[in-house]
Amino acid sequence: MIELINLSKKYKEKYVVKNLNLNFNDGEISVLIGPSGCGKTTTLKMINRLIEPSEGDIKIDGKSIFDFDEINLRRGIGYVIQEIGLFPHYTIFDNISLVPKMLGWDNKKIEKRVNELAELINLPKSYLNRYPKELSGGEKQRVGVARALAGDPKILLMDEPFGAIDPINRKSLQDFFIEIQKTLKKTVIFVTHDIMEAIKLGDKICVLKDGEVVQFDNPENILKNPKNEFVENLLGANRNILRLSLKRGLDYIKKDYKIIENFEIEKISSFSESLFIVKENEDFKGYILKNDFEKGRKCLRNILFINENTNLLDAIILLLNRGEKVLIIKCIERGIMGYLKLDDMLKVFEKEEYELSNK
Amino acid sequence: MDYFLNNLNNILKRTYEHLYIVIISLLISIFLGIIISIIISRNKKLASIVIKIISTLFTIPSLSLFGILITIFSPIKLGIGKFPGIIALIIYTLLPIVRNSYTAIVSIDMGVIESAKGMGMKRYEIIKKIIFPLSIPFIMAGIRNGFVLGIGVGVIAFLIGAGGLGYYIFEGIERSNNSMIITGVIIISLLSILINYFLYLIENYITPKGIRK
Repeated sequence: MIELINLSKKYKEKYVVKNLNLNFNDGEISVLIGPSGCGKTTTLKMINRLIEPSEGDIKIDGKSIFDFDEINLRRGIGYVIQEIGLFPHYTIFDNISLVPKMLGWDNKKIEKRVNELAELINLPKSYLNRYPKELSGGEKQRVGVARALAGDPKILLMDEPFGAIDPINRKSLQDFFIEIQKTLKKTVIFVTHDIMEAIKLGDKICVLKDGEVVQFDNPENILKNPKNEFVENLLGANRNILRLSLKRGLDYIKKDYKIIENFEIEKISSFSESLFIVKENEDFKGYILKNDFEKGRKCLRNILFINENTNLLDAIILLLNRGEKVLIIKCIERGIMGYLKLDDMLKVFEKEEYELSNK
Repeated sequence: MDYFLNNLNNILKRTYEHLYIVIISLLISIFLGIIISIIISRNKKLASIVIKIISTLFTIPSLSLFGILITIFSPIKLGIGKFPGIIALIIYTLLPIVRNSYTAIVSIDMGVIESAKGMGMKRYEIIKKIIFPLSIPFIMAGIRNGFVLGIGVGVIAFLIGAGGLGYYIFEGIERSNNSMIITGVIIISLLSILINYFLYLIENYITPKGIRK
């Protein structure tokens, strides 16, 4: 557990962080959110002592961070920043192995660890000998996360890590991070100014304003009962739609689909299912809805796959972005599990809104 | 050509003398320059002051600078000879080196330095493993500039008894000996071109692979 105790930071006479008392639980993602200048980054950097607090204390598992040697403290805490900060003159391998090397691991252990991490972040082994400039933004940030995890720290500090990445890649990085966090169970402090990101990733969300805590709770409660106008404004007028990001697509899945070969298209009317996924040899060619087919629209539409963790909000946004009606849920181990339709998801939203307004 | 062949020994000796003062002063200048740039890179105000001072020194015409150095150093009997020559060369070559190294250091992505710090690298490790290697292309460009400049100023240093290839130019003019002047000019130019190219090769070789163009 990380405890912030009466923590303050002032520059000259002005407080940027004022008397914070917060506990961050082990194995959870705690998100710090607020407008710029609210002290979120300052708070984060005080945990690994990149910024020295003016007053108060921070304890990690009961031990004050000031009882640690500053350098050793940082080596034991993963740190990911928006600028990524990969060393351009180091190969990906050298970048990832930096902390283990400083910790004095032997070469075999380091190599094993780097390979493990490459697998975790889904990076082909051949990339390990490349230099950062040869990677895309999303790949670089995944390497950034791998580098922070390399020394197997218990704590991970992330400062708007996906902020500089385009929206589509950002979504997939968030999904990737949720996925790895499920097995890693790190204690993560995550700074962002993107409320959707906060709700999607956070086990707990801490809303900060002018260096003080406004509300600290789980996303469900914050969406349901925002403490004051400030939090309401932060959530925006569409907070009910944001609640969809707390629901998994998998729970609204439909299973009346059939995988057919291309030549069977003409027989669709004789099948009872309402969605057909067309396959030719081993390739998925597209999908076709029975309804559409019967109205005479016989061309295939593009298949979009999502994984089993994708939330409803992301699913809707993806459908709108790509102009499709249906998403196929496909999980790595079990293959295709079913599909989600836009109208069904919108119905979930209507139901939610109805329930909330009649409370 | 005849002049060149007949005086080969002497020419080699002068070339050696010339390179000697240029290289010595350049080494000192590189050492000082890099230290100065590391110090000033931590403080913008200090940096602009230091760079202004060095630029001002740089604008002093070389002949006047030698004059100044003679008056300063003659009380300790070092007014003429190699010593003031080397000092003058250090002053001149410092500017390109400091300016380039400073630009190199401040243009390093702040995210790189910050993540290095955040991962628990010590200050000297950051300088040695991050700042220095990433600055090499800039620093080397500064050294190349400094070297070419140094060879030019070194010619004038002949006038205060520092020796070197300036001999052929100034003596040649005095004696109206054209082949002497031409010999001097050719050797000086060749020297600049060759050394510039040689340093360029070194630069390519020691620039870390990930930041080569």
